[in-house]
This record gives sequence, structure tokens and C-alpha cells, in this order.
Amino acid sequence: MEALLAVQLVAQEAAGLTGELSGSLNIIGYGLAAIGPGIGIGIVAGDAVQAMARQPEAAGMVRTTMFLGIAFTEALALIGFVLFFIA
Amino acid sequence: MELILASGECNTADEIICVPESVNELFENPFLHGVNRTMLLTVFAVVIVIALLHFGIVRHKKRLVPSKFGAAIESLVGFVRDEIAVGIIGPEHGLKYFPWLLSMFLFVLIGNLMEVTPLINFPITSRMWVVPAILSILTWFIFVISGFKEQGLGYLKEIAWPSTVPVAMRPLVGIIELVSTFLVRPFSLAVRLFANLVAGHLMLSLLLVSGFIFITGQGGVAKIPIGAGWLVMGLGIYAFEILVALLQAYIFTLLSAVYVQTAVHPEH
Repeated sequence: MEALLAVQLVAQEAAGLTGELSGSLNIIGYGLAAIGPGIGIGIVAGDAVQAMARQPEAAGMVRTTMFLGIAFTEALALIGFVLFFIA
Repeated sequence: MELILASGECNTADEIICVPESVNELFENPFLHGVNRTMLLTVFAVVIVIALLHFGIVRHKKRLVPSKFGAAIESLVGFVRDEIAVGIIGPEHGLKYFPWLLSMFLFVLIGNLMEVTPLINFPITSRMWVVPAILSILTWFIFVISGFKEQGLGYLKEIAWPSTVPVAMRPLVGIIELVSTFLVRPFSLAVRLFANLVAGHLMLSLLLVSGFIFITGQGGVAKIPIGAGWLVMGLGIYAFEILVALLQAYIFTLLSAVYVQTAVHPEH
């Protein structure tokens, strides 16, 4: 029983539920910044897999282009991540 | 472990998390005649890159049958030459840029792999003005200079007044292209490497250190399973970070090559 209570206390403290809601707005901002690139990288990788499955001979070229696409898409999420620290 | 936690003016006994005034204190604390850890590791990375190339390639040429080490270095160098230098920039210009791309690739790779090297556990590429910013400024100079060298003033004209776009759209597209080519490119190139490595380093330190503190700290046995869970998760991320280290070195070099390629090959 005591152990359970301790676990609950730790969980509540971690979730910030013991007092009023507190925390940084930056975290919400970063979460929002991660939505778009998340969807985008999913589309890039999914289409690359489809392309490689349809035409295995072109796999090398598709892979290079996929990494390029991922790198460009990812930049937005990473800028959000950096702003999370400096804002 | 205790070094990091005790670096601020705080008592680890009654307060677990000690926040230093600035995070930089952790890395820029000179311990040897003004030399700090980052400087030392940067020099170390340079020495490793030179040693790899010396013992893997230069010394190795004399052997008839390559050793395992030599073959590994050779395949790495061959990969950069065939896939990045010649594959992206093209056969007529690629080899000219190959030495620069290779040294950058190896340096960033070693810098990244320091993140997952036991007892070092600190990537020099996660310090913005040590590696990422400097290398992306170098890339900027190289692609701008080679653009002007190959195309003359037509390089700037083709970016600011692109002939493939309808005339009505040219001012708008020109401004967007100017900003994206000369400002966004070096910025995003540096931030990509930096943020990936900082994120990985933070994630590893948070998971592993908090796992350690939860297991060894005072107060009940109930927190030990939580700490163990975090340790296991941290080790999973550890394996993932090896992949990230390789991938980010590849992407940094690949994007530099792509920028040079767009500068030396005019779009028709």
C-alpha cells in the first residue's frame, strides 16, 4: 500500500498535478512544431518505400532522394526544438 | 556523474536537480591552463581523422592484400567518392570537391560518434560554434565561390531573376530564392546537425542519469522499478543514437554536395 502511494505521488509530481498546472509554453510550441514535419516525414518515407518496392533497381537513387527530402522536412521541427531552448 | 550534478552551487543531498547559471558552464569550464573539454575533444577528433586516413590509406597502399581495417576505411572513402562526390556533383566536377567532402564527413562522423563513445559521451558537434556553424559557413563560401567561378554573374542573376519562371512571378520567386539560397541554407544546415546531436545528448543524459538517481537515491524501494525502466529506455535510445550519428554525418555531407551541385550546374 505504501509503495503504491509512493508511486502515485511520483507520478503526480511528474505530471505536475499536485499543485496548479505549471510548466513552460515552449513545450506546447515545440509539440505544435513537430506535427507538420511528423506528417511530412511519414509521407516521404512511405512513398519512398512504395517506389523501392515497385522499382527495386532504382532503390539507391530513391534512398538518396528520400534522405534529402527527410532532411529538408525535418528542419522545421528542429528549428522548433532550438526555439524551445532559446525562447 | 557527481561532477556534473555538483557543478552548480547546490547541495545534492537535499536537492536532486541542480541548475547551473548557464548550460555552457558544464562544457566551457577550463581545467588545464584555459583548455576546456570541448577544445581537447576537437583536437582529439582531428588527430583521429588524420590517423584513420594515414594508416588506412597512405600506409596501406604498399600492402598487396588489404587488411580488415584498411578495407573498412577504403569502403568508407569509396562511399563518399562514389555516392556523394561523383554521384551528386557529377563526374566532371565531383573529384575536385572530394577531398573537402571526405574530410568534412570523417570529422563530423567522429564528432558525432563521440556521443556514444563510453567515457566521452559528449558530441563536439552539439556545440554550435565548434563544428556545425563553422562547417556550414565554410560550405556557404565554397558553394558561392564555385557558383561565381562556374557561371560568373549569371549565377546571381539566375537566382534573383529565374528565367524558367513566368515574368510576372519572377520578383517574388527571386526574393524567396535569394533568401533561401544565401540565408536559410547555411542556417538550416548548421541547425540540423546541432539540434539532432543536442536532442540525442539531452535524451541520453536525462534517461540514464535519472535512471541512476532513481535507483541509487534515498527513499523507498518503489522508485527502483521506475529507474530501471528509464535505464532500459536509455539503452534503447543509445543504440538509436549510433544510427543518428552516422545518418547526420551522411546528411551533412550530402546536403553540402547538393548545394555545390546547384551552384556548378546551371538549371536549364
